Amino acid sequence: MLVKFFATYRQIAGCKSCDVPAPGSVLALMADLSKRWPDFRTLILNEDGTDKGDDVIIMVNGRHIEHLDGVHTKLTEEDYVAITPLVAGG
Amino acid sequence: MAKQLVVDPKKCVSCRTCELVCSFKHNEEFNPRLSNVSVFHYEEAAITVPIMCLQCDEASCAAICPTGALKRQADGVVTHDANKCIVCKMCVSACPLGNVSYSVAKKKIFKCDMCDGETWCAVHCPTGAISVVDPDEVPDKKQLAADKLKAAVEEVLA
Amino acid sequence: MTQGNGWMGTIIRVNLTEGTIKKEPLNMQDAKDYVGARGLGTKYYCNEVDPKVEPLSPENKLIFMTGPLTGTCACSAGRYEVVSKAPLTNIIGAANSGGHFGPELKYAGYDGIIFEGKAPEPVYLHIDDELVELVPAGDLWGQGVHPVTDAFEEKYGKVRVATIGTPGERGMLYATVMNDKNRAAGRGGMGAVMGSKNLKAVVVRGTGGVKVARPEKFMEEATKARTMLREHPVTGEGLGALGTQILVNIVNEVGGLPLHNGRDGSYWDKADDTSGERLVETHLIKNQGCFGCTIACGRVTKVEGRGDFDGFGEGPEYEAGWSYGAACGVNDIAAIVKANFICNEQGMDPITLGSTVACAMELFEMGAIPESDIGFPLRFGDAEAMVKLAQMCADGEGFGNTIGLGSYRLAEKYGHPELSMSVKKQEMPAYDGRAIQGIGLEYATSNRGGCHVRGYMISPEVLGIPLKMDPLVTEGKGALLKTFQDLTALCDSTGICLFTTFGIGLPEIAGQYREAVGSDETDEEILLKGERIWNLEKRFNMEAGVEKDTLPPRLLREALPSGPAKGKVNQLQTMLADYYAARNWTADGIPTQEKLDELDVTY
Repeated sequence: MLVKFFATYRQIAGCKSCDVPAPGSVLALMADLSKRWPDFRTLILNEDGTDKGDDVIIMVNGRHIEHLDGVHTKLTEEDYVAITPLVAGG
Repeated sequence: MAKQLVVDPKKCVSCRTCELVCSFKHNEEFNPRLSNVSVFHYEEAAITVPIMCLQCDEASCAAICPTGALKRQADGVVTHDANKCIVCKMCVSACPLGNVSYSVAKKKIFKCDMCDGETWCAVHCPTGAISVVDPDEVPDKKQLAADKLKAAVEEVLA
Repeated sequence: MTQGNGWMGTIIRVNLTEGTIKKEPLNMQDAKDYVGARGLGTKYYCNEVDPKVEPLSPENKLIFMTGPLTGTCACSAGRYEVVSKAPLTNIIGAANSGGHFGPELKYAGYDGIIFEGKAPEPVYLHIDDELVELVPAGDLWGQGVHPVTDAFEEKYGKVRVATIGTPGERGMLYATVMNDKNRAAGRGGMGAVMGSKNLKAVVVRGTGGVKVARPEKFMEEATKARTMLREHPVTGEGLGALGTQILVNIVNEVGGLPLHNGRDGSYWDKADDTSGERLVETHLIKNQGCFGCTIACGRVTKVEGRGDFDGFGEGPEYEAGWSYGAACGVNDIAAIVKANFICNEQGMDPITLGSTVACAMELFEMGAIPESDIGFPLRFGDAEAMVKLAQMCADGEGFGNTIGLGSYRLAEKYGHPELSMSVKKQEMPAYDGRAIQGIGLEYATSNRGGCHVRGYMISPEVLGIPLKMDPLVTEGKGALLKTFQDLTALCDSTGICLFTTFGIGLPEIAGQYREAVGSDETDEEILLKGERIWNLEKRFNMEAGVEKDTLPPRLLREALPSGPAKGKVNQLQTMLADYYAARNWTADGIPTQEKLDELDVTY
């Protein structure tokens, strides 16, 4: 399953994207990424690891997880995920 | 010993917040020309440098002042006493860094007084380009140099 | 000089036909009711000018107006507004700019300048505190923004300059007013109005200061707002480090980055080549702030070793990055940076320019524009052709003059007005109204035509600021947009930057305003001024003969071919009904007398 990183998350992951085996849910993916890159831990997960962090945007197939099942959104190998710190522009 | 204002041009984004808060602190108005700190922008180099009084140990302004209006305080800051000042402007000429100023509009001399220890320019600087350091403490730059050396040694040993 | 309530109390009135200059007291009642900058400039304009006026005629007026917070240490308070009837759209044009020019005007002792008539020969206005004079522009006429600014600094020392390039002199319909070299009062053609008056520049040096009504409380409010901005991830970190172009990948991810004039949907596999991340790696030298700004989103950039693309300057921002990038299918970031330099150096709106080139590319590919008209092939993805056309447009050369008409007039000339991606003849920016429903509603209803900075629905629909709304649904969009538009009108009018609203909200904007002007109004009463401004602009537009609120047929009828919003069109009619209801306007989008009376808008 494809995971894309944007903005400063690229420095943490050291790449623009990576392939990982699809875990059961978005929450599990966040935990996996935090294990692989410990700097992600405090950014993409909340303190006790039960939800996403406050300042991360997570999209599955281009849809924000808020409009899906939140961190419980199910993932399959065909899905793709993008994660980015909260940024803005105009 | 006085705390020292230190500038880091690499961090300055030329927003001039320091000019605004300084003029406000001392005049209750926002007027960069009454500020004790001035920001100089070098367009082609894309570098911006804030300049303010560094409270010289050998302060020419105080040395030349005929009335003792400019005087070093116990904390090391050279302050200006408007009551003693005759506005002869010798201090303006004497300061080699141009950090004592004269306002035509206000008919007064002004220079940095470290805001009685509050150093508004440093407090309000959004990027940390202006900071206050205690000269008796080990400077951050020395620490950074040590960090680099440590990393290099680690690499060699690894 | 300073009045002690954020205002200087004086307006300069320049009659260019007669060559006369008058200083008159600021209309304090209007300043109270319409806040400042955008609102107050528009109020002065509406008081004095016939809405049917031809924008480029001597009968039109051009107003520069600051706000009560401009020049203070309120957060990011370096803004001023240029107001006139816009030649691109024939409705109200109000263009906002940062940099250091606005504050300097106040330090010289003036809240604003009203230009009337037309000078017999090219002139510039020189302001040095009390001294205000018209000076023959001489050789400066015919020169670009950067050499003109340099020449004034050479002549007068440390001055702030607002000027036009040669497109503005020629009345090019989307020429900008540029200040501090690279800051633009960008949209609608304010530079063309300035040029039509034979006014090359405004040069200002001021040594006075701005005082506020309740200094201690003001400083508290300003410090609170600045601290919030410094601590917010977007305004304290992201915008400064990565610039606005950081949005490219995110908007593309939600399928909202219009590709090839919107013809091929809104998802681009090459978007990352044009992203903010890529700009940082390739051309960014440093980030830079406008006056008093903690955010510092400006990009100082350089292109080297790319021949014709080489240059040094600022930008691009997200919108320009898209208009030359995805809209034209150009993924060479050096070309994008270069085209943006050309816009800054000669004073042109990059959103309209890039979109017009994109429209011409579509027309060329479908055979509607013959190659002989252009002089070379013009296909999507051709970086050389895109940069060449930007330069030709700046120089008024050949087909560049047709590009200078904007996409609507260009597409109409070649028989396909429906392919102009514009609303009320002004090009829509870098978000697809099919993938992001609410921004489509904003484009349709904005008082200055296709525009994102009248009610930035990307905040809730894509970024989740201050709340998360689904970009694909229509529910709730009308009411929220109304609030956003009113708040934006207020924010613009105070003199602080709209980008502050990523990190602060009404309480902080109203708080700083209240302590500066010495008002005891509630937040809600202050927000009402934003709604008053909106309704005044709307009333002017109706008198001017504004077109109805709609979107290009492509957004209403051509479903997106791919991406997360596949199959979607913009559901405008549904949202419009909600929006008009929220505004308490008629079902046809006309302000009711009841609403105008409630807001005390007289026209």
